[in-house]
Amino acid sequence: MVLNILKGYKMTFKTAFKDVEVTRTFPEFMMELPANERGIHELDATVCIGCGSCARICPNNCIEMVPFKYGNPLKNKKMVFPSIDFGRCMFCGLCVDECPVSCLKMGKNVVMAGWLRDDLILGPDKISVKRHTPQEVAALEEEARRLAAEKKKAAAAKAKAGDKKPAGAKKKKEEAGGES
Amino acid sequence: MPSASDILSALQSAFPGSIQESRVESDSRLWVTVDQKKLLEIAKFLRDKQGFDHYSGSAGVDRMADNLMEVVEIMASYANHNIVVMIKVKTPRDAPSVPSLVPLFWNANWYERESWEMFGINFEGHPELYPLLLGDDLVGAWPWRKDFKGYPDTTTGKRTVERVDASGLTSYRIGLTDEQVDSGQIPQRIEYPTFREREEAHIESESEMILHLGPQHAIVPGPFLLDVLVDGERIKKAFLDVGYIHKGIEKIMENRTYLQGIVYTDRMCYLASISNNEAYCGAVERLLGVTPPERAQYIRVIAAELSRIQSHLLGTGEFLTLLGSATYSPFQYMIIDREDVISLLESITGARITHTFVRFGGVRNDLPDGFAEQARKVMKMVREKTMEYKDLIAADPIYRKRMDGIGVISPQDARDLGLCGPPLRASDTPYDMRREDPILAYPDLDFKVISRKEGDSAARVDVRLDEILESVYIIEQCLDQIPEGPVQEKLPKKIKPEPGEAYYRTEDPRGEMGFYVVSDGSDKPYRVKVRGPFYATFQTFTPLLEGVYLADVVAIAGSMDACTSEVDR
Ligand code: SF4
Ligand code: SF4
Repeated sequence: MVLNILKGYKMTFKTAFKDVEVTRTFPEFMMELPANERGIHELDATVCIGCGSCARICPNNCIEMVPFKYGNPLKNKKMVFPSIDFGRCMFCGLCVDECPVSCLKMGKNVVMAGWLRDDLILGPDKISVKRHTPQEVAALEEEARRLAAEKKKAAAAKAKAGDKKPAGAKKKKEEAGGES
Repeated sequence: MPSASDILSALQSAFPGSIQESRVESDSRLWVTVDQKKLLEIAKFLRDKQGFDHYSGSAGVDRMADNLMEVVEIMASYANHNIVVMIKVKTPRDAPSVPSLVPLFWNANWYERESWEMFGINFEGHPELYPLLLGDDLVGAWPWRKDFKGYPDTTTGKRTVERVDASGLTSYRIGLTDEQVDSGQIPQRIEYPTFREREEAHIESESEMILHLGPQHAIVPGPFLLDVLVDGERIKKAFLDVGYIHKGIEKIMENRTYLQGIVYTDRMCYLASISNNEAYCGAVERLLGVTPPERAQYIRVIAAELSRIQSHLLGTGEFLTLLGSATYSPFQYMIIDREDVISLLESITGARITHTFVRFGGVRNDLPDGFAEQARKVMKMVREKTMEYKDLIAADPIYRKRMDGIGVISPQDARDLGLCGPPLRASDTPYDMRREDPILAYPDLDFKVISRKEGDSAARVDVRLDEILESVYIIEQCLDQIPEGPVQEKLPKKIKPEPGEAYYRTEDPRGEMGFYVVSDGSDKPYRVKVRGPFYATFQTFTPLLEGVYLADVVAIAGSMDACTSEVDR
């Protein structure tokens, strides 16, 4: 009986002198995360088209589309980008799968402590890993305006050639141009 | 072996005119709609003449458009054949009532109680139609019905009424407004004895008392109330109260799109999230009529088996610690091993526990680079360690004293009670969904269904440890055989199955996990019913604990490897 009980300690002794990693002193030592890790989202703001697919698929409704300055006005007409409430997010990754241009990814960063609930709502400025500089945005906006003007011209030319119908469309375009 | 169409013709000739509709889905799936007056006779015929000795559960469906309620009874067989027959009965919606199957199958009890409290379907001849998962104040609201408008929020502090009684004590209660009562949102209280009254009715003499084990207790993590009526050290009767963490996942899934539903299956039981994903996605795949590509099937097998290994390691380790294995503490070691298995799973899915990995017609992503080498390394380690655990517990005198011959369940009892998973297989019944239903790549793989003759608590742990070894073997085969190719079948962006229904079972670490999904052609499931494995096993606690010593409760109940979260859903 005693011998048997001692036999039970076999494992204890074996493990006691082996270098087994049981606990780590986080945050000094972070465990190694795989490439597939589903951590905090990373947004490529230069690619996002602001379609809102990610916001629609999210089962917890934690994505809100908010305005943000440093995206690409050529692709993202309204200049809205996802802002994610990590107090609700469960890191399921459905939003990532749904994104049509694959600009939303999940990275290896998993640390997100904060003092307030609002600290957990990370807007595009926090989650975007790639964005345009103000100069680039200005250039892109210039480009957008130029394109809009060209379109307007083309529409006007068309309107002249055709009947009165496209006049309404032309007016609408003008408004849209004014907004952007 | 008979096939589903043989069963159908046997039914038609035995009960001419009573089989209203029928559909042979495959050789092993039969759907029949029968006359509800004949339900008992038909079930008895199937049980006694056709070998359907396994009652696997039932589900209610509210067909509001047709003004009908449906009850679907799922019946299968332990050893005679692998056919599952789904028997449907219809009943008018304003006064739904169907015969209870409890006289034929003891384990129909909980399933029918649940259908009663959720849909208000009366089961004629049911011995104890009391609420199971819901709190007393929700009984009568029938929350699973399609016209349920939601329960008014009675938890808010603003509406609390303060009352001071004659002796000066202040009490608070949350009052209901008259409009709520008038509008029918608040049900009239249905009269039935409370849980407390029911258990106290069994006290016969001064020497007996009721001992509360729970809701927090040393049997398993996860709240449930186990009350035992003891006379000295012997348990005379046990009472179970569940539903402490009822989340209403089935109803939530009806309000989400098919794709969004996957994430809720994760949260039913975090130790088995892959097999829950699998069961749900499998059912929807049947509705959609797609099969995942071969590589995806292998990946799903690998993930499911890894998940089985980690679940068994945690379950066994935790249980051995609670049992007080004196000489060593296996929990710590098993957790260290499990860490590697979980990391392996994480490298595939990206999450450690809630994987959301299986998709309709495939998986979310392919295996990462270098997975095979890493997996082989970990599998080798798991195999060695598991052999060592087996050695250790074989030699541990304290463990043997507490486990050998404790809580013996005979094979016949195990089948009659409707146990499933490792506890059933420990009672000499090799019943495993991976064998019964040819799903995924399992038919191409070589594996044994582990079973034991003894049927005691020790056998149940042995089955789990041996299953770990078997899973290691399966994964190694998969790594050798896995073909190249795509991992996702092309599907339309919006998933809208044709109207219909499907039932799909997988082998969860705890046993038979089935999903019954009904589609009405929209982008959301019309009804999702989860036939959970531990629900079936849990139900058997009350008869099993009768007559045992109080000290053995942990050994018996713990050796079942409980997951309360999945019971309550
Ligand atoms: S990971 Fe899931 S929960 Fe989080 S934002 Fe994306 S879809 Fe929503
Ligand atoms: S992140 Fe992707 S899905 Fe979301 S708005 Fe941008 S482009 Fe659309």
